[in-house]
Amino acid sequence: MTIDAKTITRRAALGLLAAGAGGYAAFGPERRRLQSGGRVVLDYWEKWTGHEAAAMKVVVDRFNESQGRIFVNYLTMGGIDQKAKVAIAAGDPPDVLGLWNRNLPFFSQCGAIMPLDQLKDYGITEASYAKAVGPLVFRGGRQLAAPSTPSSIALYYNRKIFEEVGLDPDSPPRTIEEFDVAIDRLTILDPDGNVERAGFLPTDPGWWSWCWGGFFGGHLYDEKTGLATVDSPQNIAGYDWYQRFPKRWGLDKLRRFQGAPIDNPSPYRNFFSGRLATTIQGPWLPMFMDQELGPGNFDYGACPFPVPAALADQPPYGPIEADILVVPTGAKNPDASMEFIAFTQRPENMETLCTGHAKPSPLSTSSKAFIREHPNRAVAVHEEILQSPNAYTTPWITGWAEFGMALGAGLDQIWNLKSPSAAAPLAEVQLEASEILQREADRRHRRGQPDPWEKA
Amino acid sequence: MKHDSLRTGLLWIGPWLLGFGIFTVLPVSLAIYYGFTDYTLLESPIPVGTQNYERMLHDEILGTVLWNTAIFGVLSIFFGSILSIALAALLSKPARFQSFWRAAVFAPSVLPLVAIAVIFKLGYDPDPEVGLANQMIDWFTFGAFQGPNWFGSGFWAMTALLLMSLWSVGPAVVIYLAGLRDVPKQLHEAASIDGVGPVGRFFHVVLPMISPVILFNVIIGVINAAQVFAVPLIMTGGGPERSTYFHSMYVYDQAFKFGDMGYASALGVLQFAIILTLTGLILLAGRKLVYYRGA
Repeated sequence: MTIDAKTITRRAALGLLAAGAGGYAAFGPERRRLQSGGRVVLDYWEKWTGHEAAAMKVVVDRFNESQGRIFVNYLTMGGIDQKAKVAIAAGDPPDVLGLWNRNLPFFSQCGAIMPLDQLKDYGITEASYAKAVGPLVFRGGRQLAAPSTPSSIALYYNRKIFEEVGLDPDSPPRTIEEFDVAIDRLTILDPDGNVERAGFLPTDPGWWSWCWGGFFGGHLYDEKTGLATVDSPQNIAGYDWYQRFPKRWGLDKLRRFQGAPIDNPSPYRNFFSGRLATTIQGPWLPMFMDQELGPGNFDYGACPFPVPAALADQPPYGPIEADILVVPTGAKNPDASMEFIAFTQRPENMETLCTGHAKPSPLSTSSKAFIREHPNRAVAVHEEILQSPNAYTTPWITGWAEFGMALGAGLDQIWNLKSPSAAAPLAEVQLEASEILQREADRRHRRGQPDPWEKA
Repeated sequence: MKHDSLRTGLLWIGPWLLGFGIFTVLPVSLAIYYGFTDYTLLESPIPVGTQNYERMLHDEILGTVLWNTAIFGVLSIFFGSILSIALAALLSKPARFQSFWRAAVFAPSVLPLVAIAVIFKLGYDPDPEVGLANQMIDWFTFGAFQGPNWFGSGFWAMTALLLMSLWSVGPAVVIYLAGLRDVPKQLHEAASIDGVGPVGRFFHVVLPMISPVILFNVIIGVINAAQVFAVPLIMTGGGPERSTYFHSMYVYDQAFKFGDMGYASALGVLQFAIILTLTGLILLAGRKLVYYRGA
């Protein structure tokens, strides 16, 4: 059998064309189809799922119904910061992007997001936000992002267990010293020393491992000098306190205590089951209580996390974080993006969103109805931290991801008792962090970018 | 006519060539180029000469990940080869339900790695009421020994990953089975007549005859071990204290978490060079150690 080269050429050419057309139909015209209604379509990428995604959907729907010029196409996804980097680099970014405040230094330093100066036209300034929230999104007098939902971290406690051991649930510990005494009273050990109930465990859930020095007045980074301050005396004190738990109860015993019961993969299981009397958590905790245990079945209290006696008379200390909205560089309709973001910042929309997330509002004031109807009856504690000058967050550096990982490796050493004190591991982290910061500085100088503290 | 055949041939392989060019040649070339630049992905690359490669010389984390990768590679290939040859030898013997046993050995390899990693993570839970591994230790030792905390120390975390790597020896077993089938019966018979026992026959007849297959599996094992990524990412996240942090994880983190695509590219080139060198060395060693029938 002979092969007719011309026939194959034609077939192949037709096949290629068909494949191209198929690919275009499958992947190409989504945006155009959405624009066919005559409205400008904004692609809004967000990271939330479940009830958090649903809460923002309410606000998006409200915006889409409120006017006829702009339609927000709301897409939720995982790994959003990494996907966003690729999309921005490829020149096809979304119009609005939901990130975390810790992403902001990197994205802004790289020029990957547009300043939101236009929000001033909608009456939004730094004063519109809670005292600790403004600095998360403003830099050098310019607004780089808009907060969507903030969170502050507090101490939650089981009131019933407090009463059982003779502690006053209406007067939770304010100082670390008081807290240590309370922990001992709340803890139950069996005759072999196994932990049956822990008064507190800093690694349950262990989501804010960077926060412990902060309760002792420490900072990981000095913004004025651009230097790491990981091994400051305050941080060493904070992480020495962190290390007291494996020292006190034994590492292996704690590991067994924290083993996951297979029928309950919830990260809150130890607190909800009463195996943990107090826990460090965000404002969303009561929402999960209601979901997992039934509404009102868990009697909880919340307060700012205890601090050393010397700091106890100051406004509350506590880590804060925020989900933020940014407009990526290269977004097709920045004016429309600003209009949408400004809409989300209106008190009524912000309170809808934050109620849905069971978080405090990032705005300078909240309505009485918001506090009254909030799913967390202790939301005022979280708002108080958001208004505090002693609230703190991850350092404003582009290399936080790497810095944080170095800190995590150091904390492993501290927790696993590889060193009798936190000082030596923190000194190692300090060295590593200094190298990271030096590389950052070299990169800025190479690109002719100003140092962040020059703008601050 | 000859010209037409060439054109036809090129046309047929054209789509593959196009895909190879776009998805292999171009990315590899770009990775080599980016390795000589400061590139954050979000900004245009700036040439920095050999700075990224110089940084490797002082990068202690790189030393750690290379050491971890080497330890994992050597041990997983060593134990994986022994287990897969042993399983292949067992499965090559006539037995009841032979097809079932063969399928059973291969089946784990078709499961998604991510799912296996999640299951194994639960299996290694330190609580014997939850973790199957410690439950088995408890059972086999009549409660005399307590299972370790698998992810609590570097040694046990690496051991856990190594044990898990044996889960997917199926493809290697299949290849060894094919190799064992090719060992001529006459050689077995001749060795038997000469008084060589089963163990002697295995070491002096079977192993030399399947040495090309061993070589192939070792090379594939080196390539896989050098790129180990998903399982440690899910099971240990690289910890504790970076004891299970591997080279591919470091490349990924540098590129997408730390935003240093330039250094990540240089690390990728290093990985490529290491794999290439090791493969070359193994092939070189194979010239002396591998017996090729008919060569």
